[in-house]
Amino acid sequence: MRARFAICAVLVASLALVGCAGAKKTDTIKIGWLGPQTGDSALWGQAELATLQMMSEDYNKAGGIEVNGKKYQLQIVPYDTKGDSTESVNVAKRLTSQDKVVAVVGPQGSGEAIPIAPIMNDAKIPAVATTATNPKVTVTESGSVNPYMFRACFLDPYQGKVAAYFAYTTLAKRNAAIFMTIDDPYSTGLAEYFKASFEKSGGKVVATESYTSGEKDFRSPLTKIKAAKPDVIFIPAYYNDVALIAKQARDLGIKVLLLGGDGWPSENVIDLAGGPGGALEGCLFVNHLDMQGDLAKPMRDEYKAKYNKNAELNSYMAHDALIMVIDAIQRAKSFDGVKIKAALEATDLDGVTGHIKIGPTHDPVGKTAWLIKIVGSEMKLQEKYAAVD
Amino acid sequence: MNQFLQQLVNGLSIGSIYALMAVGYSLVYSIMNFSNFAHGSVIMLGAYFGFFALTLLGLPFALAFFVAASGTALFAVALERLAYKPLRDRKAPFLYFIITAMGASIFIDNSVIATIGPTPKTFPQASLPSFLRSGSVEIGSLNVGRVDIAMFVITAICLAALVLFIDKTKMGKAIQATAYNMKASALMGINPGFVIILVFAIGGALAGVAGVLYGMKYQVYPQMSSITMKSFIAAVFGGLGSLPGALLGSVLLALIETFVSGYVSTQLRDLFAFGILIAMLVIRPQGIMGKSMEDKA
Repeated sequence: MRARFAICAVLVASLALVGCAGAKKTDTIKIGWLGPQTGDSALWGQAELATLQMMSEDYNKAGGIEVNGKKYQLQIVPYDTKGDSTESVNVAKRLTSQDKVVAVVGPQGSGEAIPIAPIMNDAKIPAVATTATNPKVTVTESGSVNPYMFRACFLDPYQGKVAAYFAYTTLAKRNAAIFMTIDDPYSTGLAEYFKASFEKSGGKVVATESYTSGEKDFRSPLTKIKAAKPDVIFIPAYYNDVALIAKQARDLGIKVLLLGGDGWPSENVIDLAGGPGGALEGCLFVNHLDMQGDLAKPMRDEYKAKYNKNAELNSYMAHDALIMVIDAIQRAKSFDGVKIKAALEATDLDGVTGHIKIGPTHDPVGKTAWLIKIVGSEMKLQEKYAAVD
Repeated sequence: MNQFLQQLVNGLSIGSIYALMAVGYSLVYSIMNFSNFAHGSVIMLGAYFGFFALTLLGLPFALAFFVAASGTALFAVALERLAYKPLRDRKAPFLYFIITAMGASIFIDNSVIATIGPTPKTFPQASLPSFLRSGSVEIGSLNVGRVDIAMFVITAICLAALVLFIDKTKMGKAIQATAYNMKASALMGINPGFVIILVFAIGGALAGVAGVLYGMKYQVYPQMSSITMKSFIAAVFGGLGSLPGALLGSVLLALIETFVSGYVSTQLRDLFAFGILIAMLVIRPQGIMGKSMEDKA
């Protein structure tokens, strides 16, 4: 709606310049990145890019990446999507036709990832999405696999199933309410999968309410949810909305447990919800990893030391997407997109988010889902699920 | 019945924010005949001024409020001098003012994203006086947020003060006269340049108050100005240029929104709200209490 074009164009141009500086053309591997650096989801895009830059510095300091007996310097070519699907298509075209990258990391949102599939397929350059959990990212509506689209994360049907299983079986909740973002396919999709699984188990969804993204006052739909008397509320939304929803729900006297998905984790979700002991105390969400666990520790510490900030979920996901790409290039012994794609299909490695084995639909199969509980200022691992059915 | 009363409370609390923001649009429109779309960005700046006055400078709450309001008043005047005055001097068409205002808004929003960052912030609870902390007061089965009560009271005080100022003081009369006819009032010795500065300063100060209150109630973030579009619509609904109209339009719009989403469907809320707005503009283009028919853009 708002034309932020001019300013963003300057930003993109300056980024491109930064990207070009100091790279020798002959022995460089160019890997593209696209994601939001401005706009509502900028926090995550910035965390991804910071991670990739940190990793490429590490690789280059250690002499580069060895492919077929020769060392190459890694260069990340980043573009801002503003979290917008049209902009995502534009920059994907640019990465494939102008910058001629060998592979792409990102984008992070399903709304940005789905429309770039035809571009990557035409250019025969593989992309590994970081947190795009919608099934349509890798498999088209008609059921065929997008040959050049991959991802590092698990999918929404799985995430919804884990949340529903946990609510019904572990917590013994029977009456759930759902509060979703109506104009976001991530949110509506996850809500739908939760509902299907929860009802299949024998639970009842007593209220389904929604809001439009960008809204800040949720009390009217929450008042309706309160009247339906649920014993758990599933909120498939992003952290800043979640914090506001939780606060307003508590203000309205809604005391039941709130449950969510991978849109929740963020460094400041607890602060936004009123600090330790605030509106989200004791609430739970499904995550891609245990961000406070041992597996993530080395990266968490390095990131914190370098940027003086905590790594976000997207930092870890971008890490795993990049190692998938580099691993595939090394096994393919080539910079040809077709060969890298074939190597990506045989991915079988350990990342900071768990074991990643790419299945026939280009999605990781049997990836662990981590249930995390908010306790004080901590996000504590409650339970791990590996491929529940 | 309980749910009805709760929704009524929800609606009134949203209406009081709309009102505080809508007044700023109406004030400027009444004098300059254009919609100052940068107003929303000034509100956003007010929230940041208040936030940093509390957290970085550690000022007491009342003083932080004052800093935010005077900061935005100064900023609004500076914006008028830098962006609108050159256009006025050249007697540019109104369309240019609107485009300039939109440009200024985008510029301010993105400057904040680039310097402070896009991450939303919340007022630390400890820095707020107890009557402004989150949490609610239970009245029977109703839950009324403490911040909402405070907002309602502060909005009422600000608007009452504004009405008194405009009705009872000489400067207020000057604003009224200029709104009625700028040329004629200039001939009577009222300096239009001064009135314009005055109007921007008042609008800016109210924006600061609105920004801090909004930030306390929800969050402080750079895209805040997009939410103020609703208050602009409320101002049009009530009649741009009319202060009681802005107030009435705000409360009505908020109540319509709340009840439609409470009793019909949240998805249909904007459809209803804007459908009524369009119907209103077709039947009565000047809004509920607006003055004469002029182009409202």
